[in-house]
Amino acid sequence: MSQKKEYPELPRKKLGPGWWLGNRHYTVYMVRELTSFFVAVFCILYIYQVAVLAATPGSYSQYLDLLRSPVMIGFSIVTLGFTLFHAFTWFYLIGRVQPLKFGGWTTTPVQSLIINTALLAVISMVIIGLFFLGR
Amino acid sequence: MSVAARLHALLWGVFSLGGFIAAFLLPVLIYVNNIAYPLGLWPVTSRDPTSLLVTDQIIGSFFVFVAIAGSLFHGVFRFTATLGELGLKNQVERIVSVGYALIAVGILALLYYLLALNPSFVNMVLHILGVR
Amino acid sequence: MARYRPEKGPKQYWQEYKVPYRRDTVVLDALNQVKAEQDGTLAYRWSCRMGVCGSCGANINGVPRLTCETFLHDFKGQELVIEPLANFPVVKDLVVNFEDFMEKLVRVKPWIIRDRESPVEEGEYKQSAAELERYSQYSSCINCMLCYAACPVYGLNEEWLGPAATALAYRYIEDSRDQGKKVRFPIVHDMKGIWECTLVGECSVVCPKGVDPMLAIQKTKILGAMEAPKSILNPQTLKAILPRGGQ
Repeated sequence: MSQKKEYPELPRKKLGPGWWLGNRHYTVYMVRELTSFFVAVFCILYIYQVAVLAATPGSYSQYLDLLRSPVMIGFSIVTLGFTLFHAFTWFYLIGRVQPLKFGGWTTTPVQSLIINTALLAVISMVIIGLFFLGR
Repeated sequence: MSVAARLHALLWGVFSLGGFIAAFLLPVLIYVNNIAYPLGLWPVTSRDPTSLLVTDQIIGSFFVFVAIAGSLFHGVFRFTATLGELGLKNQVERIVSVGYALIAVGILALLYYLLALNPSFVNMVLHILGVR
Repeated sequence: MARYRPEKGPKQYWQEYKVPYRRDTVVLDALNQVKAEQDGTLAYRWSCRMGVCGSCGANINGVPRLTCETFLHDFKGQELVIEPLANFPVVKDLVVNFEDFMEKLVRVKPWIIRDRESPVEEGEYKQSAAELERYSQYSSCINCMLCYAACPVYGLNEEWLGPAATALAYRYIEDSRDQGKKVRFPIVHDMKGIWECTLVGECSVVCPKGVDPMLAIQKTKILGAMEAPKSILNPQTLKAILPRGGQ
């Protein structure tokens, strides 16, 4: 009787660093994740701004001039866009994982997104009213 | 749960809280400080928004601390995980360590400078503690 | 179709087939037609033909699907590219080695664990409709492995526990009859467990039974995050993280 021969398997294909470009869902996911880079950079720049204000107030006006530069304004607009994208995707995901319950009504992810976006608008107005209006 | 997993679970909880903070508090700060003020858009203020917020203003300083510390934690934590998915898997441990160091230094620096900008609050606390 | 015939050669290659088409032809019908009338060497798995056995998963135009539920008419005008499920070693043609998946399913102990087994005379473990509702969605898994094929985290790291195994663990954690939380938690809350997941969500997109493993993983993370502060005060943990063992 002949012996059963073992044939080699094809190993798992390695995922290259560009795996996220192969599929629209993966690309949206990676863009969503990369918003974190802009959030982190903004925070670091803001901490630097507070440090300059506290430690070297004489140089603070130079930093304010930097804020007015086209590069900084461009970066800020992009960062705001990405931060809002993070917020909206966060609200949707949270709406899936922990839907809001009001009595017998449980929100869908889209409803959660709408409610949280409205809350974001209200919180933003309250902050502007508390700290900036008329000052 | 292993020790590493317990710590990670705790840090994930903080990361998750940071996600809420970045979503609800960061957009208005970016808009007012980095877009509205330099371009002279609403709400127009007499001074730059940051010095209005934090100079001898403990509530504003608290808002800045929560918004920036929470968002920094969330952003760095998430970005270091993303780098692993972009092909830097072998360097992930080193990247994560650098990330946590950046978070720690950033939050401590922010706390230090905010307290430096709020001498009345610091004096009040020291007075309560009986140090001054 | 991606072919791999190790008895003929070491590499994967492409082979084109033309099949008769009717409005209700599914990819599995096409595979069966090829095997019966064009090329008897073609190897693939299938069984029920109705989306309940989980045998017939394949990557179709880059997306993991069940071949018995994928209609050719959805690809009218396009080329149909059929490959074995991604992220698994290939045995032959569309047949993959799923030993890793099976090991992970068993690892989460997918059975009711009780502190004390009640004797038969005490009757069945009762459960209300509301208690059943808490986990019934997660018990719908047919072990088709589409979620593993779709998950880039599993693609990058084979050690990750994976969507289906985690959803299965959550199914038992949420089952009111189960008392095995302290046994399952260390398994799912391991660094190669749920903490690898970065919420891509593709597992839930491809799942043919609506199990939503992404949701199960996030709910398990929340349970872990709530458990961690309590367990962080555990003497063993404090000893490990405090200088000089906390002495």
